[in-house]
Amino acid sequence: MKGVLTYIRRDFIRWSRNKVGVVSTLVLPAAWLIFVGIALPVKFTGNYLDFITPGILVMTILSTGISSGSLLMFDKILGFLNKFLAMPVPRESILVSKLLFITLRGLLQATIIIIFAVIIGATLLNPLQYAMIYIILFLFGVFISAFSTTVALYLDDHDSFAAFTAMVTMPLFFTSSALMPYDVMPGWLSTIAHINPLSFAIDAIREISAGSIPIIPIGLLLIFTAVVVTISGYVFRKITV
Amino acid sequence: MQFEARAKRQAYELPRRGCNMVAIQTENLTKKFGNLCAVDSLNISVDKEIFGLLGPNGSGKTTTVLMLTTLLAQTEGSASICGHDISREPDKVRDCISYVPQDMAVDSNLTGRENMLIFAQLYGIKNPKDRVDELLAVMELSDRADDLAKTYSGGMRRRLELGEALVHEPEVIFLDEPTIGLDVAARKNIWNHINALNHKGMTIFMTTHYMDEADQYCDRVGIINHGKVAALGSPAELKSRLMKDVITVIIDGKYSPVQVEGTLFVGQSGDEISFTAGNGREALPLLADALNHAGNKVRSMSLREPSLDDVFLQSVGKQEEPQGFEEFKFHMMIHRRGL
Repeated sequence: MKGVLTYIRRDFIRWSRNKVGVVSTLVLPAAWLIFVGIALPVKFTGNYLDFITPGILVMTILSTGISSGSLLMFDKILGFLNKFLAMPVPRESILVSKLLFITLRGLLQATIIIIFAVIIGATLLNPLQYAMIYIILFLFGVFISAFSTTVALYLDDHDSFAAFTAMVTMPLFFTSSALMPYDVMPGWLSTIAHINPLSFAIDAIREISAGSIPIIPIGLLLIFTAVVVTISGYVFRKITV
Repeated sequence: MQFEARAKRQAYELPRRGCNMVAIQTENLTKKFGNLCAVDSLNISVDKEIFGLLGPNGSGKTTTVLMLTTLLAQTEGSASICGHDISREPDKVRDCISYVPQDMAVDSNLTGRENMLIFAQLYGIKNPKDRVDELLAVMELSDRADDLAKTYSGGMRRRLELGEALVHEPEVIFLDEPTIGLDVAARKNIWNHINALNHKGMTIFMTTHYMDEADQYCDRVGIINHGKVAALGSPAELKSRLMKDVITVIIDGKYSPVQVEGTLFVGQSGDEISFTAGNGREALPLLADALNHAGNKVRSMSLREPSLDDVFLQSVGKQEEPQGFEEFKFHMMIHRRGL
């Protein structure tokens, strides 16, 4: 779509000039791998690093994606959005570019996690498996950033949005299958974890690592993503008439 | 004045895209926010001139600009830009226009060149780099083109924005308070650029609070109040509707109205009361007597030529904070600042 690449380039340059932002996005996942992946004493699996890496991958995409709404929000607050909307570029390309930029940034972080995990002892997978992992992370990234953008368009105020992301991220992560398998969870947690969209992505990546092809989770993720993107497109169109 | 402006253009350059239609034409353009009528049946026609839309805060200036730039849908009526209807052919409208909001939206962590390049690429300009070089030179930013925009002064940022708005050679350019917050030299510079653009045949539609600038640079001004046009014409024409002289009186306390032959009450702004008079020197003592007689405590009186301020005061009346708009304004403010 016309304009998408230019919008992405703009966001990418802005992000890359923010040194602290770049360093933090790279250090954070590494910290998770070391402190949770290596240091945590767990007994239910031999290689906890292999178990936790999918969880950390998905969590990284989650925390990057959930903040994506603020990109569009700041463009709106600072007057950029009005300038862009007054241009003969398809308006939806603004939304699409935000979703893609955040997802691609998340995938960049994911790449660093995968490399780092292998270095500190995770099992090396074959290229096809990695390709499938990227597809899942991509779908999940678009899903989360579309969700976040929709909420941001509704809330329309940065403080509420920051409160919202803080409120959503932690519970969503701890009620997923990221940290432990379902059979060691308490019953209530296992029920929640089964319907948590994070678990879909995490379980799918674990299935890939185990050697199977998770058609159903990928299909479900695809449907979820399509629904959320449609809603967010609708809301975006409504506020930009 | 409109014809003068047109002749002025023909002397310089022929139209680039053959926009033979009137640049901006509105027919009963109306916008309601709930019960509030922000713009009420606006009928204006602007072509190849510098048109200034004046009005107190909350009078509907920005709402008008937002509708004309296809950023806000009108409630009733219609408008066209270069013959393209704003609601039926918004894409074509966006092709002919540029909009520079008052927020000074420049990416401060990008260089001036990068900022402008984004616009050139978004507009799909051929050889965007050459076009950007050219415009940076026009806007006198070539020396600083590769510095981050956060190191730019307010005037430079405005010039950068103006340059961005020119990448696709629009027919009509909308400027919302183009000189707000700039120092005198920067303002003058911006106005020189706006004038030059107009000489090339571009239609400039702007809003401003600065009467002296509107007086000096606009071919025509429209004063709107409560969404309605209160006065429309060239600054000279509007001023000539007032009598030859203006007498300004500063009083203490409440003003009790007086009637003096040969003078006309213009309006009140704070403790300042304005009258217009055919012969100010003769009217001055008569007015002083009458005011004292009516029990007004006159602090000072002065005599001067009418300015656009007086026209504004007469059209808009007593200047108060517009109560009815407060909530709306507050929301706008919050949206802008993101508080």
